[in-house]
Amino acid sequence: MAESPEEVAVLVQRVVKDIRNAFQRNPHIDEIGLIPCPEARYNRSPIVLIENKLGVESWCVKFLLPYVHNKLLLYRQRKQWLNKDELIDITCTLLLLNPDFTTAWNVRKELILSGTLNPLKDLHLGKLALTKFPKSPETWIHRRWVLQQLIQENSLPSLATKGNLGAAPVERIHRLVQEEMNVCSEAAGRYPSNYNAWSHRIWVLQHLAKLTVKVLLDELSSTKYWVSMHVSDHSGFHYRQFLLNSLIHRTVTDNNILVQNQMVNEQNPNLQKEEESAGTEAVCAEEQSVDLPRRLDEEMELCNELIDNYPGHETLWCHRRCVFYLQQHLSNKLPLMSAVVSSVDSSDESLNNSHHSPAISHMAQAMDVDGLNESSSKQGYTQETKRLKRAPVQDSLGPEMEYRFVDKVLSTCRDGDQARFATAYRKWWTESYDLKKK
Amino acid sequence: MRLYSLSVLYKGDPKVHLLKAAYDVSTFNFFQRSSVQEFMTFTSQLITERSALGSRASVKEQEYLCHVYVRSDGLAGVVIADNEYPQRVCFTLLDKVLDEFSRQVSKMDWPTGSPATISYSALDGYLSKYQNPRDADPMTRVQAELDETKIILARKQNSCCEIM
Repeated sequence: MAESPEEVAVLVQRVVKDIRNAFQRNPHIDEIGLIPCPEARYNRSPIVLIENKLGVESWCVKFLLPYVHNKLLLYRQRKQWLNKDELIDITCTLLLLNPDFTTAWNVRKELILSGTLNPLKDLHLGKLALTKFPKSPETWIHRRWVLQQLIQENSLPSLATKGNLGAAPVERIHRLVQEEMNVCSEAAGRYPSNYNAWSHRIWVLQHLAKLTVKVLLDELSSTKYWVSMHVSDHSGFHYRQFLLNSLIHRTVTDNNILVQNQMVNEQNPNLQKEEESAGTEAVCAEEQSVDLPRRLDEEMELCNELIDNYPGHETLWCHRRCVFYLQQHLSNKLPLMSAVVSSVDSSDESLNNSHHSPAISHMAQAMDVDGLNESSSKQGYTQETKRLKRAPVQDSLGPEMEYRFVDKVLSTCRDGDQARFATAYRKWWTESYDLKKK
Repeated sequence: MRLYSLSVLYKGDPKVHLLKAAYDVSTFNFFQRSSVQEFMTFTSQLITERSALGSRASVKEQEYLCHVYVRSDGLAGVVIADNEYPQRVCFTLLDKVLDEFSRQVSKMDWPTGSPATISYSALDGYLSKYQNPRDADPMTRVQAELDETKIILARKQNSCCEIM
């Protein structure tokens, strides 16, 4: 067993080299791990590479970690020089053992900024570190820094061909986003309610994907199965709440622009704003593809199904409250949306098909933009707005549905927790919503 | 929502024998898998030892839930799952497996059996199929007696108390 300082130095150098060689031999390494192994076997490297898994035998960590840690600090204090290759190897080793060592990530930032290190390497290293440390805050933070570097690089046309990413800029960003979604998903699977992973996912949508309707819808459909299999994962459900909320904001904003443009065009029929109408059409097309009330209904259905199948998970009840709140929030934007309503008869068949309040089914009509170009719509706008502002948003059907659902759960469930959650939900609902309707 | 192991054991007097087991440790880190599997084998055995004949229980051990059913004829089954997997589906599965096992493997072989000697190969298939509870059998209501199955919190394995 290595004990003297010289022996430790030799061992460490060997291990760092072994790690470097492992990566060179196999660029497809996708997981790291610690192998419980209290004693060294004679003359065998503690670095083990099986299939695409890189393992470090645990006996060497107590020698390895303090040594490389110290070496990097000496470099930082300018007491010992390390060349660029040494820096890359040492920080790599360090971060695979302890990815929350900020200094190591910062050294790599400097290497990236000086052009010595390809930022994609750090994305790969971070991804590996997350297989063992799925929450590691510093890894996620560094990841965002690297992504920002890549975005900046992407936006400079002169670097388009020289850049670190291949292909066209839009394609590059799309690939980056997809990769980040995968990394987040894996990390979320490795640790329950992995807040860091899910908030990173949100950050990527906001800063890389720009919260387009398409990406929001894609994410809604791709996470549906995941949350159904992780019914106690608060962060996963919160992500869906974020997606739905973003969709509402997006659609309402687009719709406001749409309606404003329509009114402007009607007032000035001679005004030829080609760009605006083209933009309006694009927005119109996007907005048409989002039937928000239906999406919220579907989310509510999903929630109910999961509550029935998996009793006793508070997360699901919290999610239900949020979806209900979003439905209310959406219907409160009704006055503006009513501009496109051609007729709001309560006897229409959509009321029978809908399992929820008539306000929602009115909304289903409101999202139909076919009535938009009718010349009478301006007149209808004023009338409908007045009518809807006077009348209550929900009639008596809404509260009954909620009570019925909760009562059904309470009468059929045998799980103590489920009963508790259902009762608490009913109390919340009564206090928040029922009184307002009186 | 995950199932990790499904085992059939025989609660003899005094010892418990493992008859057959299936494991799914794919969600664990590669280098942890063998020790996790060992832990599950050991825990399944221990829990069966501490359970009385003709009993069902769900025992919480670290972040896992171990669902055990010991029949009055000594045949026992243990499912180790996470804390999201619905309890009633586990017991439905155990009922089904033990029933099938007892029809396929002669009772005479139970007291002396081991995974090498017992020929029953359906466990892997069940473990895989039941990973998604909704793909498996429909959610039928299990008998009323299951309502009394309580979740027992075990601080350490050694302090796992005698389950009634």
